[in-house]
Order: sequence, then structure tokens, then C-alpha cells
Amino acid sequence: MEIEGQATVKESQPPKFALLVDSEHKATEFHLFSSAAPHMRAFHLSWISFFSCFVSTFAAPPLLPIIRDNLNLTATDIGNAGVASVSGAVFARIAMGTACDLFGPRLASASLILLTAPAVYFTSIASSPISFLLVRFFTGFSLATFVSAQFWMSSMFSGPVVGTANGVAAGWGNLGGGATQLIMPLVFSLIRDIGAVKFTAWRVAFFIPALFQTLSAFAILIFGQDLPDGNYQRLQNSGNKQKDKFSRVFYHGITNYRGWILALTYGYCFGVELTVDNIIAEYFYDRFNLKLHTAGIIAASFGLANIVSRPAGGVLSDMMAKRFGMRGRLWALWAVQTLGGVFCIILGQVGSLTASIVVMIVFSVFVQAACGLTFGVVPFVSRRSLGVISGMTGGGGNVGAVLTQLIFFKGSKYSKETGITLMGVMIVCCTLPIFLIYFPQWGGMFCGPSSEKIATEEDYYLSEWSSKEQGKGLHQASLKFADNSRSERGRRVHSQTLPSNATPSANV
Amino acid sequence: MAARVLVLASILIFSCFAETCYGVISFSSLQRTLVVTASHRQGLLKAGEDKITVRWGLNQSFPAGTDSSYKTIKVQLCYAPISQVDRAWRKTEDHLNKDKTCQFKIVKKPYTNVNETLEWTIERDVPTATFFIRAYALDSDDHEVAYGQNTDAEKKTNLFEIQAITGRHVSLDIASVCFSAFSVVSLMGFFFMEKRKARKSQQ
Repeated sequence: MEIEGQATVKESQPPKFALLVDSEHKATEFHLFSSAAPHMRAFHLSWISFFSCFVSTFAAPPLLPIIRDNLNLTATDIGNAGVASVSGAVFARIAMGTACDLFGPRLASASLILLTAPAVYFTSIASSPISFLLVRFFTGFSLATFVSAQFWMSSMFSGPVVGTANGVAAGWGNLGGGATQLIMPLVFSLIRDIGAVKFTAWRVAFFIPALFQTLSAFAILIFGQDLPDGNYQRLQNSGNKQKDKFSRVFYHGITNYRGWILALTYGYCFGVELTVDNIIAEYFYDRFNLKLHTAGIIAASFGLANIVSRPAGGVLSDMMAKRFGMRGRLWALWAVQTLGGVFCIILGQVGSLTASIVVMIVFSVFVQAACGLTFGVVPFVSRRSLGVISGMTGGGGNVGAVLTQLIFFKGSKYSKETGITLMGVMIVCCTLPIFLIYFPQWGGMFCGPSSEKIATEEDYYLSEWSSKEQGKGLHQASLKFADNSRSERGRRVHSQTLPSNATPSANV
Repeated sequence: MAARVLVLASILIFSCFAETCYGVISFSSLQRTLVVTASHRQGLLKAGEDKITVRWGLNQSFPAGTDSSYKTIKVQLCYAPISQVDRAWRKTEDHLNKDKTCQFKIVKKPYTNVNETLEWTIERDVPTATFFIRAYALDSDDHEVAYGQNTDAEKKTNLFEIQAITGRHVSLDIASVCFSAFSVVSLMGFFFMEKRKARKSQQ
């Protein structure tokens, strides 16, 4: 559903969309079982491609009991590879955020996916601890598709449903980390039963995630589009979208302190999720003497909880916003993530298999819901530099994973149980900075909105544009967004009079 | 109420002790009554190709009747200490249920009173490491009652190294390279087509 790039499109001929949209043509509703272009189609493309990247990045852990014997790995080698698998994406996510702001999520994500697919193919021919570390490092870059997925959802869906859209897209993508713990051992046994020897079967198994990744990138390029109104390149050529300057976009992103706080706290929900994806199968296999298959199933249930828990976080965020506005989103985020930390501490303490499984599942629900709640807040931190903020937060998630694995899960210093408990303590501590997030127009956890002058959404979002840029009219999209974001005031929005030039939600 | 708690507590405590009586056998309680030797060609042994000749039998210096409870003999390939460093999944534990030293079964057969010999081809799933050979004598309940190994008590002598298969094949190598190249080339192809479409729509 593309409109032709004519500079003379008038509001009297609004384009027809399958869903209700706002003034920026972002959908204000979310229909999970539809794949109508462009909104729901973008949703399905982004979660499926992100899912495939997760499958590839965490394809090695469930097969580690085989790989560690084939490549003669020590516990230190395994720990290093685990750190490497999540460290590449730290900078890749920030770069991806900027690329989305400049080139659009469609090209940015498809390029990354196709450029990291070779790393997955080359995993089949790894022959030493170093080559294993390198392939895991480069494969891990593909986790930056998270940023493009969130950016794409934030571009396609409006305030009332953006938390839900972000939560479901990311949750179903993160599902890949759990699904792979089931898929890889299954594919491995199938290939081995056909007749391949163990040390060859795991190699062949890696072609499955690699092919899936390649095909999902093709789907994005063929069926996707950046914005409800079309692709960046075409819109830029026709004058409907202004091309922004990298230095300004980047500057406004990194100077926003809220981005840095969210980066830290995301490191202790998503970063923890990545860490657990890396260590949990081996933990169950070694501690409880299970079969590879069984350890894989249990480990999978951690990631599989994503199918509902992260979306639930997004939905909860939207529900809290409806009643309490942005303050509700912040409170819910803090509470859920802190509880996640508490259950992590308990997980390291329990010693029986059944108790471990139960606590692990409860822990996974809270930690993943916290991820969903975080991305209920991120779309509102900046409009001009949405990509950079998404990238910083996403990158922070990976930094958390790197730090946690380096401190607690490298080599043989701490037993895995102790590492898990200490990780839980760190989660609780690193969630406290959420207290410091404050929006002048909406307030923070402990303070209400600024009452010195009546701080408005326009003031906040237009502060990202200089008066010269505003003179050129570059800030129009931010103006529309500011108006649409008034819903973040919670119930108070009904008592405010809307500005006279506000356009009501466009109905088809 | 207090009496019930006491009974429950004592049942729990006794069941812990019962476990040590029935299930958990410790390696240090076993007698070394078997003599095991292993011979092989010189140099690094290759998995899937080379053979090891294993001989085992009762140590004749023990009194007759020592082996009256031996029903089965289990011969295993075990990791030497050097291959256990920084690898907790190969750790030696005294409780045999938790011990992970010996992970490969060479043979398990009924026990006979005579010295036996076996020529074993090293399986293709044996990893690259340093090994020794140990034989356990099992009773009719399949519990270990005695052992023998081809190395000394510190596991320092008569060790041998095995080199694993790589698991790689030329066809896999070629497939990896081809598919990778295809991914990158197709991306460039897409970009090229996008640029052409954009240029066309501008004209």
C-alpha cells in the first residue's frame, strides 16, 4: 500500500489503511492475526527476522557438550565465546540505531542480516577455540536487528499501542533464544540418526539457522516498507521526508541522559536474558546430570516464556499509561525488574531439579516483562533521535550481558549457582536508577510534571531542533508526534483543552 | 504436634543415611584387585583408525575367592588429570554416581576367571585428550565392587593421547563458502535494483 510520491498530495485525499491511524499514519490499533500492509506486515517481518537472528546467535549453547569435545574447548574458552557472542552487538546496535534514522529500518536490518549470515555458515567449519570465538562474535552482530525491529514498530504504531507492538515484536523475536535450544538438538539428532557421526552432525545442523536467516532478509527486502507512507528513499526523493544530518541526530541522542539510564537498566533485564540463554543448558546438563535433549528442553522453556511475558510487559506498560501516564510506565518497570532480580537470587539457591525449573520460569516471566516495559518508555525519550536512543538502550542490554558473563560466568572462579545468585543481586542494584528518570511534561517516579511554566510535549520534542532548523520546517514530524504523545499524561489528558490545530485521529 | 515433627525429621535424617548405605558407592572404598594393561602403536593415536589392545584379569596375589561376587566386567576409557583442567564436565568425584572421569565404554561383558584380551578400535566420537584405561568389576546388582587401571594411583604413568576426527568434510567447506558468497552478492544485487528503481521514478 504505497502512495505515489507526488509533492501535491493533499489531506483531502487521505490514503486508505486497513487499521485506524493517527496524523502521522501510524496505526492506533494492533491486530495480531492480520498481515495487512504496511503496519501488520512490518510487524510480522520484523519479529520473524529478529527471531532468526536469535536462533543463529544462540545455536551453539545447546550443542556445547558436543562442540566442546570436538574443538577441545576449556571452560574458559566457552566463557570467552559466550562473552564474544553478545559483545559485538554493543556497538552494532548503536550503529544500527543511527542507520535506521538515516536510511530506514528496512535496508538497515536486511543488510545486517545478510552480512552476518556468512558467520553462521562458517560456524560449520570452525576447528579451534579461536575460530569458534570468532564465528560466535560475528554472528552476535545480528542481534542489532533488535534495534531496527523496535524502530520499525515505533514508526508504524502510535502511542496507545506502541508498547504492545514493541513488546510482541521483541518478545517473539527473543523467542528464538528459547526455540533454538529445542531446534538445534532436534536437528542434530535427526542428522546423526541419518548416519553422520556426532562431530559432523553438529556442523551440518548449523546450516538450518543460516538458511532461515538469509531467507528472512529476502522477505524484508521484497515485502517490507519503512514508513506507513512508503520507503525512505522514495519519500526523500519526492520531498515528503527530509533527510536528516547524522551529527545532529547522534548528538541529540547521546546527550539525553534518559537514554543512558535506560541503557543501564536494560542491561539488567535483557542482558541477563542473554546471559541465561548462554549458560542455562550447560547448567542443567552438568548440575543435574540430564541428557542433552532434556537439558535443551528445560533451557528452552526460559526463552519460550517470551511468547507471552515480554508482550505482557508491553501491554502492562500501555495499560499503566492509560491510567497513570508515563509515571505509571516507570513504576511498573521498576517493580517488575526488581522482582526479577529477587527470583534470580532464589534460582541460584535452590538445589532440586523441580524447584529450579519452577523458579527459572517465574524468573524468566519477570525479566522478560521488564524488557517489554522498557520499550514502552523508549519511544518517548526522543523523536528526532529515536534510532540512536533505541540503539543505546539495546546496546546497553548487550553490555549488561558482557559484564555479567565476564564477572560471574567465565572460567571456574564461581560455580554457576553462585554466579546466578550474584547476578540477581546486581539486577536489583542496577534497577534503582529508574528513580532518576524525569520528563518535565509528565513527571518521574517521585515527582509530578514541572509546574514552573506549564511544560508541554511540544517544548520537550522541539528542544531537539534549533530555531534555524525549525525555520526550515524540519520539525514537522516531531510536532505531530508531540501532539499524539499527549496520551502519556494519563487520565489528566481529558481535563486539558487540546490546541485548536490538532488533527483528530484519521478514520478510514 | 511436636512428636509428629520429630518423627518426620528423624525419617528424613535416616533416609539420608540410608542413601549412603544403598545407592552411593565411593571410589575410595573399592579394592584394586584387577590388573589392566593397554598396548598400542607409538605416537598420537587417531580416533576411528587406531586400535588399542586391552588385557585384564584378576591379580593372582589376592586370595582365591576374592572374585566370588564379580558378575560383570566394564572396561572404560578415562580422562587423565591433564585433560580435566578447567573442564568441570570431566571432573573426578569420589562418589561414583557423580564421577565423570570415565565417559567412554570400551566393553561390558560377563566376568570370567581367566585373563581376557580385547582389540578395540577407537570410536569416532572420542575427543582429543590424554587417557588411561580402567576396568570395574560389578556384582549382580550392577554395583562396582572392585577396579583395576593401566596407570598408577596418581594417574601419571602409561597415559596415551588420542586425536579426534575433525568432523569436517570438503563438501561442507564448499557449501559454507558458496552460501556465504551468495548472501553477500544477493544483498548487493538488491541495492543495485533499488537504486535503479529510484532513478527511474525520478525521471
